[in-house]
Amino acid sequence: MNNNWVKYGLIFILIVLIQGLVVNDIQINEYFNPMVYPIMIMMLPFELGAIATMAVALLLGICVDTFSNTFGLHTSAALFIGYLRPVVMRYIKPNEGYDNTLLPIIQDMGVQWYLLYSAIIIFAHHLWFFSFEILRFDLILLILAKTFCSLFISIGLIILFQYIFYKSSKK
Amino acid sequence: MRRLLQFLKTFRDFIIFLLLQVFILGLFFNSKNYHRSTLSNTSSSVVGWFVEKKHNITKHFSLSEANDSLSAENADLRALLPESFYKLQDRTYYINDTLYEQQYEYVPATVINSSDNKRDNYFTLNKGASSGIEEGMGVLSKEGMVGFVVDVSNHYSIVKTVLSENFNISVKLQKNNEHWLLKWNGKDNKIAQLNGVTRDIDIQEGDKVVSRGSGGIFPENQLVGTVHKISSEDGKTTLNVDVKLAVNFGAVYHVYIVKNFLKSEQDELENQYMNANE
Repeated sequence: MNNNWVKYGLIFILIVLIQGLVVNDIQINEYFNPMVYPIMIMMLPFELGAIATMAVALLLGICVDTFSNTFGLHTSAALFIGYLRPVVMRYIKPNEGYDNTLLPIIQDMGVQWYLLYSAIIIFAHHLWFFSFEILRFDLILLILAKTFCSLFISIGLIILFQYIFYKSSKK
Repeated sequence: MRRLLQFLKTFRDFIIFLLLQVFILGLFFNSKNYHRSTLSNTSSSVVGWFVEKKHNITKHFSLSEANDSLSAENADLRALLPESFYKLQDRTYYINDTLYEQQYEYVPATVINSSDNKRDNYFTLNKGASSGIEEGMGVLSKEGMVGFVVDVSNHYSIVKTVLSENFNISVKLQKNNEHWLLKWNGKDNKIAQLNGVTRDIDIQEGDKVVSRGSGGIFPENQLVGTVHKISSEDGKTTLNVDVKLAVNFGAVYHVYIVKNFLKSEQDELENQYMNANE
């Protein structure tokens, strides 16, 4: 268990640096604003409760905000998906339940489950983020356009990240 | 009592979520309304170190453009030197000039981190308090107005750019000195807006919009952009004016931070007057 938390700590630092120094610089135009850091919240163990998840989200969000000069916007969105994650996992639970020796990553849970899981969480995250960034009802189409454009790149980056840094937990 | 405890237990997660959200969003909206920052940002020393290391790698990608723009500026400035004028008179006189006192000084700085596709866009510069930078100083590039400093650390500073929700800097038309506040609606990072332009004002597409120099942040007559499109709505007494910004915020590299030696004097006098009126 101890070993696991050290591993999560290292991944946390790695993700914050990748988000802050590499992904933040992907500025194609105003519609594409990809984010890779939600993966930190998405891949926490299945059995972790909402409060512990929100604590990780709070710390992660503040670190990402510091790198992106957004003063709390990322923290707010990260908290939202931290609160939402246990609910989402309850709704998309496979028939046989979750195996606590596995992690919610693509290699362990299969492509189909993972795409559904990441699509729901990232959509919620991006919608929350861009709604509060723009905060105008008459620009709802712009909010949705930004959400969907960024959604695809974000999911792509998150899956890529897992294939680079992760191995399956199945022996 | 037991009911209350039961209620708190069932909604414990949600209540904690709500409290944290209110706190964080409060900080976020605060940062929009005040010209200073509340949460930590890229001017902090640890993150600034990382950002500068990244900049040291990526700066080479845009070096040739940066050099071109600097050499073009050098050529312009060289043309203003006394050596490049033909002397019409042989004898020149040295005059100790007491008519002019230096008001503005410029500190060159480099943009080491930037964004141009968010609702509020900030730059990080590699100069900070150790170079005499303070909050509220204006930032110009060769092309025109960039923004003003909102936070400084020892070696870095954060600039709120024109591309921000509450930028609110006074600008004027160069030809007739009519002045308004400059706004940005968040849609297109090449176009900003002027609010409250009444129909009786002589304004045409292509007119130059320059800084007014009212708050002592920028010198007067620094280029902001040109009038791009004027449109009117039925029933409204004001016009919608789009200004094409002179600065390409995606490619700003070298900037100048404006130090105003007389700003404190101006502020003091204005505050005195305001207080006396209250």
